[in-house]
Amino acid sequence: MVKPTGRRSAAAARFDRHAYYERAVQDPVNDAAMLAKLFRRYRNRQPMRLREDFCGTAVLSAHWVKAREGRTAVGVDLDEATLDWGRRHHLRGLDSRVQLRQENVLDGKGAKVDIGCAMNFSYSVFKTRDALRRYFEVARSTLVEDGVFVLDAWGGWGAMKAECERKKVGDFYYEWEQVRFDPLTNEILCHIHFEIAGGIRIDRAFTYDWRLWSVQELRELLLEAGFSAVHALWEKTDDDGEDTGVFYEPKRIDNQEKWWTFIVAER
Amino acid sequence: MTARGLDVAKKQKKKSKTKQPKPTMAERADKHELYQGSVQVPEADVEIFENIFMKLRGRRPLTMREDFCGTAFLSCTWVASHPKRRAVGVDLDRPTLDWGEAHNVAKLTPAQRKRLELVEGNVLDGLGTKCELTCALNFSYSVFKTRELLRKYFVSVRECLTDDGVFLTELYGGTEAIVALEEERKCKGFVYVWEQAKYNPITHETLCYIHYRFKDGSKLERAFTYDWRLWTIPELRELLEEAGFSKVEVWWENVDEAGEGNGEYTPTESEENQESWLVYVVAQR
Repeated sequence: MVKPTGRRSAAAARFDRHAYYERAVQDPVNDAAMLAKLFRRYRNRQPMRLREDFCGTAVLSAHWVKAREGRTAVGVDLDEATLDWGRRHHLRGLDSRVQLRQENVLDGKGAKVDIGCAMNFSYSVFKTRDALRRYFEVARSTLVEDGVFVLDAWGGWGAMKAECERKKVGDFYYEWEQVRFDPLTNEILCHIHFEIAGGIRIDRAFTYDWRLWSVQELRELLLEAGFSAVHALWEKTDDDGEDTGVFYEPKRIDNQEKWWTFIVAER
Repeated sequence: MTARGLDVAKKQKKKSKTKQPKPTMAERADKHELYQGSVQVPEADVEIFENIFMKLRGRRPLTMREDFCGTAFLSCTWVASHPKRRAVGVDLDRPTLDWGEAHNVAKLTPAQRKRLELVEGNVLDGLGTKCELTCALNFSYSVFKTRELLRKYFVSVRECLTDDGVFLTELYGGTEAIVALEEERKCKGFVYVWEQAKYNPITHETLCYIHYRFKDGSKLERAFTYDWRLWTIPELRELLEEAGFSKVEVWWENVDEAGEGNGEYTPTESEENQESWLVYVVAQR
């Protein structure tokens, strides 16, 4: 939390965490293109309707509809204030195409869609198999007959320990802190901190109290929830070992210190 | 051996009349003997089992079932540890059981032998007499790579326990458990090598080997191969509960002031991850 004390804190008080989050973490133009590409790979048609669970500011939904005429999106999030922020910053003029729903993703309300997604590991708030399976069942029920559900996953030995990564983004620093990984429960506690101009720190701008699910566990639960096929993808690297933005379904891969990837589940 | 291989062998035999090549240490080694001398400390296992069982049930356990028993080294140690103790050892592999008969069982007194039952069979079949304590050590259950199979195994374990029986198994993990690595450890007369050759983060499958290396430079490569799924603690707990166990605890090794493990274990609900850890997962019927 930001405590306003004195001059330093005036900047901190004006600090807009959503704006910084979007700049540091999100890449909605690419994500929207990637979701459409993944859908076409398995369905051979254009996806038009997106459901963004845990949508936050719904910036992905906004870019989804902007990228192609006729597209619509449903964004679902519990937090009204965050949705409001999104309405003001991203959704002006898009009201007819983006529907925001302030509700639990477990409610599964709203129109059925071609493609559902849960990005940035937000489903990790469900810490038991029962709760996560229930969520996947609901996610499946919000899809049309040939719908596809996409989520991202992360891991590697660097994900399973306390550490803090810092990177410069434009004129500020973004910090990802893993406070604690508990091998008894696979629970992980993480924070996002920012350091903005003037060296002003915004500690714990966001906090995540998660279970770090493995790809195999996610696959098992998606199948239990009724999905007919689950594809665990991996990013291709070039000759220099650099990421290429191209994802494929590998038979076997080597572990890495830290990785993230997409999982695609066919209804 | 192929026909060509035989020819080569004959030629070598002829040559060897003049100069007999001494067999290397690796050629003379017995892999089960090496395994028992590098991986197993059954007296310590018996002590840990006794402590854990005593704390949970308030009495010394007398009957033990050793699943995936291999050479039954532990079962033999168990029956020798107390005049009333009985053990059931179960393993699929007849030659390994035979080795155990010849080397471990042979050292027991006739009375001790009477209290030992060795079963050649699948641990999924629940063969042999019911026991108070069942153990599956050295991560051998990791050959079951699907939830369905592992749950089936746990159901079978539970059925083979007496009413207040306890199942005890080990699990390893930590940030170094999911990387390719090779670790050497000096043992009496040889070097033990644990190799994690491959770990697949998408399936959690791990391929590991045990190699032995000797003073004369000879090697026994891939003496043992393990094609496993590396299960996590919460996954084991979930499956044990699904299999009907009433209470599942994780016993973590205590550390001394220098931060070194002291061989004593206590139940815990929360720990910081480490590079490498080994826990006992203890499930009460």
